[in-house]
Amino acid sequence: MMHFDPMVPFKYWDALLIGLWMSLRLTLICLALGIALGFLTSQARRSRFMPLRALATFYVELFRGTPVLIQLFWIFYCLPLLLGFEPGNFASAVVALTLYAGAITSETFRASLKSIPREQYDTCRALGITGMSLALWVVLPQALLRAIPTLLSNAVALFKESALISAVGMADLMFIGSSISNRTGRPVEMLTAIAVIYFAVAFPLTRIVGRVEARILRRLAV
Amino acid sequence: MSYDLQFFYVWQNLDKLGQGLVVSLELTGLANLIGLTLGFGVALLLRAKSALLRAPAAAMVEVFRCTPVLVQVVWFFYCVPILFNLFIDPMVMGVLALGVNLAAFNAEGYRAAIQSVPREQYDACAALGLTGWTRIRHVILPHALRAALPVLMTNGITIFQQSALVALVAIPDLMYAGKMLATETYRPIETYTVVAAIYFAISAPVSLIVQRIEARFDRVQA
Repeated sequence: MMHFDPMVPFKYWDALLIGLWMSLRLTLICLALGIALGFLTSQARRSRFMPLRALATFYVELFRGTPVLIQLFWIFYCLPLLLGFEPGNFASAVVALTLYAGAITSETFRASLKSIPREQYDTCRALGITGMSLALWVVLPQALLRAIPTLLSNAVALFKESALISAVGMADLMFIGSSISNRTGRPVEMLTAIAVIYFAVAFPLTRIVGRVEARILRRLAV
Repeated sequence: MSYDLQFFYVWQNLDKLGQGLVVSLELTGLANLIGLTLGFGVALLLRAKSALLRAPAAAMVEVFRCTPVLVQVVWFFYCVPILFNLFIDPMVMGVLALGVNLAAFNAEGYRAAIQSVPREQYDACAALGLTGWTRIRHVILPHALRAALPVLMTNGITIFQQSALVALVAIPDLMYAGKMLATETYRPIETYTVVAAIYFAISAPVSLIVQRIEARFDRVQA
């Protein structure tokens, strides 16, 4: 049995912090872009124009029906060809995780859009609110409010999936942690430390989801 | 785009991907076996009267839900042998890591389903003198299994997708076979496209069935 030294991870706290910052930064950027993409996609899936609807559905099903790891690999190899230049690791990771976030977020919006009462649309018609103003000022605020708890869960999911970018050599928490673990030959201490750090970020967020959910349900009285 | 797509090499090596797929399906099947049984046990513990039983079950669920699956898989592979002085087959290790992860997610699904078992069922059990294991086996389990079916199926197919992660610890699954083939043939785009298509072809029908079942549940309840 090996000697267990719980102080090992503390020696490398600054490197782990840099890794965590990379994971968080990527999560936040992709979450913001993913919410925008997800909302647009959820609207496209309700479009009367069939090809647009089919395309949006295909996109969502494809990204929900394949491992994120393969999406990541695929985009890392294909993006340079599609763009004609090397966009760099960070940009590729952003594109990959944003596409994934957009797909899961569009499902969130789809569910919350369904819960907007029919009367809201009738009222808009009566008031002559149509098209973009209907979507922007009536549908979006309500959909967003109802979607908040699930969006927070999506944020947690995205934060967890972001660990995959270590597989394409990006210096996130997982990558830095496992590199140190390999260098120092202390996998138990280092890998446990990484797990604890991920948990420390994700767990409070999941608690908040429950709170927010209860509050919104009370507010909407549904 | 000046790239010349050539699927020839992928078609020629389709048998290698097939072997990988078999490993992925084995992992998924065995992980589901653990997830469905252990998950129900954990769900029962989550509802136990004694906090001594409840607390470890809750901790297990939260730890697995709030850390990346990649971290869990890597942790199992590096730390279990050291901590328990146990060197087992990588495949068994992969099944354990994925299975316990799935059990944590399924436990949540079962818990919600058990909560939805109507109060009257418990009253009827009391009236009929059904207690303990008989009550669980013949009344609660059938109800919970039915109500939890969509969630269990969704989790089951998610684990199929997450199983791609074991490629990173060199278990020769579909993702691993794809990675090898991409490197061997210098055709990453074609290879990853075919691999993604295979994952999708298996996931998509399952999610379609889940949608059908959910629609039927909604109709029955309405």
